[in-house]
Amino acid sequence: MKMETVRMAKRMLGLTSAVAMVFCFTACGQKAEESTEFKPALSSETSCQIKVAGNYSNFESLESEFERFYEYYPNVSLNYVYLDDYSNTITSALMSDEAPDIYVTTTWMLDDPKMAPVFENAEILSDPALDINLECIRKGARWTLENGDVVMLPIFTRSYGMLVNMDLFEKNGLEVPDNYSELVDACDKFKAAGYETPVMGANSLTVAGMYYPFAFPLFCDGVLKKPESVEPLNSMEKSAGEMMRPALEKIKTFVDKGYMDPERCSNEIEDDYNAVIMRFFEGDVPMMLGSGDMVSGTQKRESKSEAFVANPFKYKFYVVPIEDEGGYFLDSVNLFFSVNKNSLNLDMTNEFIRFIMREKELGNMAAIKRLITPTNDFSLDEVYSSLEEFPEDRYISYQETGLNDAVNKEFLAAAYKVANGEMTIDAAVSGYGSLWDE
Amino acid sequence: MKRMLIIIVDLLIMVLILFFIVQYANTKMRESNERVVEDFEKMTITAEQIIMNYLEDEQHLCDIWANYINRSAEAGSPMTGEEAISFIRKAKISSSIYGHLIFLDKTSQSGISTNASSKDANDYSVSYRYLNIFDNIDEISREVGKVNLTRAYTNPQNGVQSMAFLNYVKVLDESDGQLSEAILMRVEPVSILEDKLVFLKGEYENVEISLINKEGEYLVHGKSLKNSNFFEYYKSYNEADIADYNEMRDEVTSETGTMTMNNSKGEECVISYTPLKSMNTWFLLAYIPTGELKAANTVVDWLLLGMVTLGLLSLLAFNYLILMLYNKKLAEAAEAANLANEAKTHFLSTMSHDIRTPMNAILGLNEMVLRDSHEEEIVAYSESIRTAGKTLMGIINDILDLSKIEAGKMDIIDVDYSFVSMLNDLVNMVQGKARDKGLSFDIEVDRDIPIILHGDEIRIKQVITNILSNAVKYTKEGSITFKAGFEKMEENPDSVKLIISVKDTGIGINPKDMDRLFVAFERIDENKNRDIEGTGLGMSIAQSFLRMMGSSIEVESQYGKGSTFSFELVQGVRDWSPIGNYEETFKRAVSERKRYRESFTAPDARLLVVDDTEVNLLVFKNLLKRTKMQIDTATSGNEAIALYKRNKYDAIFLDHMMPDKDGIETITEMKGIQDSPNTLTPIICLTANAISGMREMYINAGFDDYITKPIDPKRLEVLLFEYLPKEKIAPASDDSSDGDCFIPDFVWKIRSIDVNAGILHCGSQKSYMDTLKTYFDSGQKNAEEIEKYWNGKDIKNTTVKIHALKSTSRVIGAMELGDFAARLEKAGEEGDVKTLETDIEKLLIMYRNLLTEMEMLGSIDGGVEGSDKPLILEQDIKKTYETISKLCEAFDFDGVVETVKSLEKYRFPESESAKFETIKKAVDNFDYDLIPKIISG
Repeated sequence: MKMETVRMAKRMLGLTSAVAMVFCFTACGQKAEESTEFKPALSSETSCQIKVAGNYSNFESLESEFERFYEYYPNVSLNYVYLDDYSNTITSALMSDEAPDIYVTTTWMLDDPKMAPVFENAEILSDPALDINLECIRKGARWTLENGDVVMLPIFTRSYGMLVNMDLFEKNGLEVPDNYSELVDACDKFKAAGYETPVMGANSLTVAGMYYPFAFPLFCDGVLKKPESVEPLNSMEKSAGEMMRPALEKIKTFVDKGYMDPERCSNEIEDDYNAVIMRFFEGDVPMMLGSGDMVSGTQKRESKSEAFVANPFKYKFYVVPIEDEGGYFLDSVNLFFSVNKNSLNLDMTNEFIRFIMREKELGNMAAIKRLITPTNDFSLDEVYSSLEEFPEDRYISYQETGLNDAVNKEFLAAAYKVANGEMTIDAAVSGYGSLWDE
Repeated sequence: MKRMLIIIVDLLIMVLILFFIVQYANTKMRESNERVVEDFEKMTITAEQIIMNYLEDEQHLCDIWANYINRSAEAGSPMTGEEAISFIRKAKISSSIYGHLIFLDKTSQSGISTNASSKDANDYSVSYRYLNIFDNIDEISREVGKVNLTRAYTNPQNGVQSMAFLNYVKVLDESDGQLSEAILMRVEPVSILEDKLVFLKGEYENVEISLINKEGEYLVHGKSLKNSNFFEYYKSYNEADIADYNEMRDEVTSETGTMTMNNSKGEECVISYTPLKSMNTWFLLAYIPTGELKAANTVVDWLLLGMVTLGLLSLLAFNYLILMLYNKKLAEAAEAANLANEAKTHFLSTMSHDIRTPMNAILGLNEMVLRDSHEEEIVAYSESIRTAGKTLMGIINDILDLSKIEAGKMDIIDVDYSFVSMLNDLVNMVQGKARDKGLSFDIEVDRDIPIILHGDEIRIKQVITNILSNAVKYTKEGSITFKAGFEKMEENPDSVKLIISVKDTGIGINPKDMDRLFVAFERIDENKNRDIEGTGLGMSIAQSFLRMMGSSIEVESQYGKGSTFSFELVQGVRDWSPIGNYEETFKRAVSERKRYRESFTAPDARLLVVDDTEVNLLVFKNLLKRTKMQIDTATSGNEAIALYKRNKYDAIFLDHMMPDKDGIETITEMKGIQDSPNTLTPIICLTANAISGMREMYINAGFDDYITKPIDPKRLEVLLFEYLPKEKIAPASDDSSDGDCFIPDFVWKIRSIDVNAGILHCGSQKSYMDTLKTYFDSGQKNAEEIEKYWNGKDIKNTTVKIHALKSTSRVIGAMELGDFAARLEKAGEEGDVKTLETDIEKLLIMYRNLLTEMEMLGSIDGGVEGSDKPLILEQDIKKTYETISKLCEAFDFDGVVETVKSLEKYRFPESESAKFETIKKAVDNFDYDLIPKIISG
């Protein structure tokens, strides 16, 4: 029963978001200005301990928010606890004597019946009495239950795209491409200038690999335009494989033209995180495909790259302009916070949530972690500044598509196999449903 | 400036005191801080002991469980896993403590728990599959008593952050009936351990205890230490190179110590560290913000410092205010003193002048008494009056000089002067006094001293006079030796250094009195010298003058034996000719005094006296009044030459220094005139320079002799006696009949007539009155005749008539008219019609005005005053008034009197006459302060 509710919620989300979106865009701006300055609602003398539990072994960006919160409530003690085997222990923890007041939740938990207690214990944060500014959240990052309740608040989001070496573009007199033809043109020019593989990334079967950021948003767009395809896709019907064709063709084209070189990428990039970043810092890759997680790892690795330290350059994150009208910003929440409604210090816990649910604090946390803020204010981290002007109508919420995880896997497998010449496009399309090998 | 200096010094002292306090306080604070840190470190060690005790106790409890299970196995009745857990379930007291039994042979790292999973009340299975806490299973020690502790982890059964104490147990594997080894875990919430550390808060409010392993991961995590890893945290907020970082890591994980580092807010904090003894896997960290640890020490010091600063500043402000107050009072006192001193100076100068004026009268009258009296007794009294008067005058002059010096109005006026002339004056002055006291007066003068020097002759003379007078005054017997020498100056070839010294065999100066020698109004050895008159000003004035001239008096003295006063003075040289043998001339002068004869009369003798200064002429005439000689005067060389040509004189006195044509030029011109009636007339030089070489020079120039100015009447009479024709000299007459003749008051009041001169010219008062009457009676007629001749263009007779007018006017003492007539006579003689045309009318007016004033001579007469005087020019009035103002400022009241007198000879325009009358009145009333006010209007 509970499971059903959650699933229903997921499906309803697109709808509610769309409705909410209309008035939110007008309201958000005003609200944002009003809420710039945090006004404490409780006595500043209040003394209590609040525990935040999560699966990050290290959560410095949150800890910095603790410090900022102490400026208003010096006697409150906030504490972040890493739980071993989080997905297994969080439910127990919530029932224990030492239950966390705030805990990390993710979207997959909604699908997992074992995780039901996680949401049963969650405070309804959309309660107007709590005065939490939910409207600051970007529409694609907003999660609302069917009944309009909000129990999960997005803290970080991630997207998929590419890191662009701005200096290389500038050096070669090129603008960062806004549409597909410009992208092809830029690739040609880089090749002509001696850059053998203008677009690189991890040749892997992961979402952080090179194919997912490159073509998956295009696939999603196709699905959104054809909602009836969702069901066959989710149920692994072979015929639904046709939906992948436009994306696979783009991948094939890039590989054939030599803009992408899977073999070279395999040789030079061992994994989809550390190796990708370090390779990018070598400074000779104009565009490096990857996820938002890749971007978050750049800051700490700048100093670890001898090449980058010797020859630092400017880089930014862009979505891949996969179509003539441009690219798609695939919005995906990385991490949510939920509040334990049984918290002994529920008021202060909600107060803390009210505190961080503001453009400024969310922006600060995202900037420290170098993930994408769930708000519309991208000004705090220059690396994401390209998103500032990104057209709203090209935002795609993965959750809106209604696709399940299996579709992801099938797509990743198809893309990898086509790119690496293991399969033709036709074979991949017709092989839908059985492409992913465990 | 001085005030600023005082403030700066005060502030400096203040800063030094504060610096000392700060240094001292800092040292104390440092020591105190060191103690505080030591104490903190001790607390850390205590905490370590408490933790260690607790851990050992807990391990011990775990070991008891394990021993019980193992003993069962050893005893041959091994427990199964379920039995073992069941035993533990009973044995454990606290519900928060779990017992886990993990079977080692299972790859899933799973086993049985004393408590069911919080998710499923029936599920007692426990799995550590996803928790990598048994990755290094070999490290679990089998040693008894050794603490085997896991890291902090999430208890899979209840989701609580926990730690577990481990031991091996042997249990029966039910599946195969074999004994197998399992790990027994005593699982406790970390919060229990955290609670044990709360006690420390009493001593240090913000202390945070953490436990880390070698990698920096926490077992107990202090909330201020961000990051899940202490060493990562350190790196994030502290700039340290690799070597320092590694060293820090080594120290923290090996020994007991304290370090400071920055926390995530950039604040300094202190961390004490110590390893948990006998474990070597966990390390205790005690964190505290530096501010809290050391705060208590600073507060007191800053308060102290602040109070001291405040105190010192108040003291400074108070002192400054007091200083200001005193300064103000002092300034007022100084101002009052200055005013008093000015008043004193003014009083002295006014008073001395006021005394001088009547003193002049007294001395003048006394002189007349001396001359006119024949009674020895009267003469003796009169001589005493003269001596006392002169002394008094000296004192007064001294006071006047001193007041000028004090008022800063004494100027050094350098002129060319004859050194020998000065010497002569000095010697003349002192020689007599010395002789009167029976002292021998010796002079030693360097023959090579240049003859003409440049300097302030008057002041130098005053200085030497003072020294010489003192020498005479304070020497009862013996001698006074005056020495004058000089040195050439290499650096200044146009100057010499005069060296003057006066040595006496007098009373000498007591060394203790040396300092007071030059202090005004101080008289040394007052008791001994009471009979010696003086104000005590002389030396002070002399010293002041020398100071002004860049020198000073040196004194060497032996008390009771005598003194030598000397000074050196740089003087410019105008003529390097040597002065020659002074002593010879000196002797001659002495002999002249011896040849002095009684006074004589010579009414028939006629003299010409030439001097550019009218006062000198007046003095000269007055001196010879009693001789009844006829004396003509001229104020310039040209005038003298004109008279020389025309009149026969028995002697001519010619001033050497005159403007335009000096004495030498005049005499040369005179000697060149062939048909003069005076070819054989002796010409005597009136000079300020004479003696020795000078005498030769004057004689070579054609002079017959010389007499020094100021003129000594006795010497003048000696000279006249020598040069006048003997037949014109008669012994001094006893006849005093002319004194009986009454000269009416109105005659004295006729300003254009010098009655005394007239009397002198006429030989007696009676004769004068007769002459005056004749002059008046023939006056109108004579005027008409002049008019008549002039109108008839008869220049010759006009000239003759004017000549007569000149002579007669001069005889009666109407000198101006006489002179005017003389000028026109001259013009007439020269055929200068133009001058006659311009001036003859004026002459007649002047003449007739005089006659009108004399009208009372005829019957009962009235008079019109002043119209016969020459009209003074506007610019001359202005110039003269300026001079008078300056003289008043300089307290030179003699000069004022002289100048006003000289102005009386002129007629003032109507607009100015009232003012001049007021000035005269002020002079008569000695109201010198008023004069500048009158002048400025």
